[in-house]
Amino acid sequence: MAVDSIDVMTSLRQWIRDHVPGNRAVADDYPLIENGLLTSLDTLELILFLEQEFGITIDDEDVTEENFRSVRAIAGLVSRRGL
Amino acid sequence: MNAYPEFTVHDLLANSVDRDPDRIAIIDRDTRYRYRDLARCVSALTAALVEHGVGRGDRVGTYLEKSFEAIAAILAVSQAGAVFVNINPLLKPRQVHYILKDCGIQTLFAEANRLAALEPGAVKVAFFTGNIPPSASVATSLASVPEILQHGSDSQVSRPVLETDPAAIIYTSGSTGPPKGVVLSHRNVVAGAQIVSSYLGTANDDRILSVLPFSFDYGLNQLTTALRMGATLVLQHSRMPGDLLRSLRDYEITQLAGVPPLWPLVLQSARSLEERPLIHLRCLTNSGGRVPSRYLEELRRLLPSTRIYLMYGLTEAFRSTYLPPEELDRGPDCIGKPVPNTEIRVLDESGQECDTDVIGELVHRGPTVALGYWGKEAETRAVFRLAPFASPAFDNRERVAYSGDLVRRDAGGFLYFVGRRDGLIKTQGYRVSPEEVEDLIVSTGMVREVCSFGVADQEIGERIVAVVVPRYSDEGVADRIRAFCLENGPSYLVPRVILLAHELPKTPSGKIDREMIKDAFATG
Repeated sequence: MAVDSIDVMTSLRQWIRDHVPGNRAVADDYPLIENGLLTSLDTLELILFLEQEFGITIDDEDVTEENFRSVRAIAGLVSRRGL
Repeated sequence: MNAYPEFTVHDLLANSVDRDPDRIAIIDRDTRYRYRDLARCVSALTAALVEHGVGRGDRVGTYLEKSFEAIAAILAVSQAGAVFVNINPLLKPRQVHYILKDCGIQTLFAEANRLAALEPGAVKVAFFTGNIPPSASVATSLASVPEILQHGSDSQVSRPVLETDPAAIIYTSGSTGPPKGVVLSHRNVVAGAQIVSSYLGTANDDRILSVLPFSFDYGLNQLTTALRMGATLVLQHSRMPGDLLRSLRDYEITQLAGVPPLWPLVLQSARSLEERPLIHLRCLTNSGGRVPSRYLEELRRLLPSTRIYLMYGLTEAFRSTYLPPEELDRGPDCIGKPVPNTEIRVLDESGQECDTDVIGELVHRGPTVALGYWGKEAETRAVFRLAPFASPAFDNRERVAYSGDLVRRDAGGFLYFVGRRDGLIKTQGYRVSPEEVEDLIVSTGMVREVCSFGVADQEIGERIVAVVVPRYSDEGVADRIRAFCLENGPSYLVPRVILLAHELPKTPSGKIDREMIKDAFATG
């Protein structure tokens, strides 16, 4: 099943609001890792969420800074895995 | 064969250049630098430091991402006879200004964008990296690091430096007050490299992954052991599991050093590690807190050919003990036996050696006992004391380090960590004083009273809890406090939990009653 990237971005923004301190609304290209909003340990939780929510498997090799740097980048990864 | 002197930090580089100048010293984002390249850059930067008036004993800050340039800067400061102060790149301007002022830094290495965030006139001389210079207001004079590395003089500037001279200041927290600068001599740093490389058996064919920051004593040690042995240091910029995995595989890493929060990130790649074991990884070391048992079990299972060393220590005396790979079954509280060339005593309150299995304070004697805290005489005297067990045969003034950690020693000589004597919080491999957290929260202007403390946490050692009395109790105040803390401090300083109260209990003398507050709120 193809995953709609608009849906992914909406759920991602919600997840960030719920899990990241400070209750922030972030833009799609906001540098999540560079600005310290998403730590590498937070990412482990996020992966669990993405795998359950969208029924995908993220390869160990794909959990990189490049793939998780922004909401848009994460949505891109999810779409690639879901297609 | 030549006999090599090992007195100063820069001797470690000079020796490796002399032995094998074409060996790869540093790999930074796929660029390989030979020992001769590093030495040339260090000479150019040393000459530039001297030219800009940096004198013996002056403190020079490096507020840089981990990079080849940062390493060259550290070694150049050493060669110029000055004292390097590595500032964690995670720190925000608020904490950086504190360090600059505390130890009187007038010369600072930093990326141009970091300099731009500092107050005008923060330092006299700024050595900037990157291609675009920062605005001139941050310093009286600016110098471009890329320019110096490309065109700088390669004349050998040599100043007299003794092993007993100060080499570095490492900022770390105690149980009270703001962070303190632990002053290390060249002897301290070199002995740390000698001690660790001897028990890990580090050799020149090792490829060491540098994950930890150089502002942390154990992070600096990966650099100094690599230099000492003529090994290769691979700089790791990302802690994301996939990036770690790629470095471990692509560079055939043989040594990996970490702190507890690193291990779940490595274990995230369990599937891949099972399919393709890391056959090159000879040893893995942990410092900065205990590794939760379930992670340790997983690491042993997934890395059957890797030797796992658990280290214990504190910046005031570098490393004190280690648990060798064959003793891992002694349980998570066992911190092993003293590192080489080091004596560990377990003393009671009257300074007497404790009997077997009796709890006392860990006291460290050896060549890694630091010189003291910068500018803090009383605190220095409290921690760095004359040894009560010194020989009375002559006027022995050797100082030992009182750790503040409570331990016991079993009949076999193994030491076990029991707890802290005070309120120091150990979280994610960092030492944090409750007052540092409270100071950050007070600066929001949103609270009347605040008390913070650590609560035991399986994953990160302790998690920080803050109990606050807000000025105006409205919805979302805790979130706003947390957002402010994230903007103005490193993430490890930000409380995981912020609880609201109407008033904090006080002691008879009117201070907040930390014990009572902790008891009442610790379940948060």
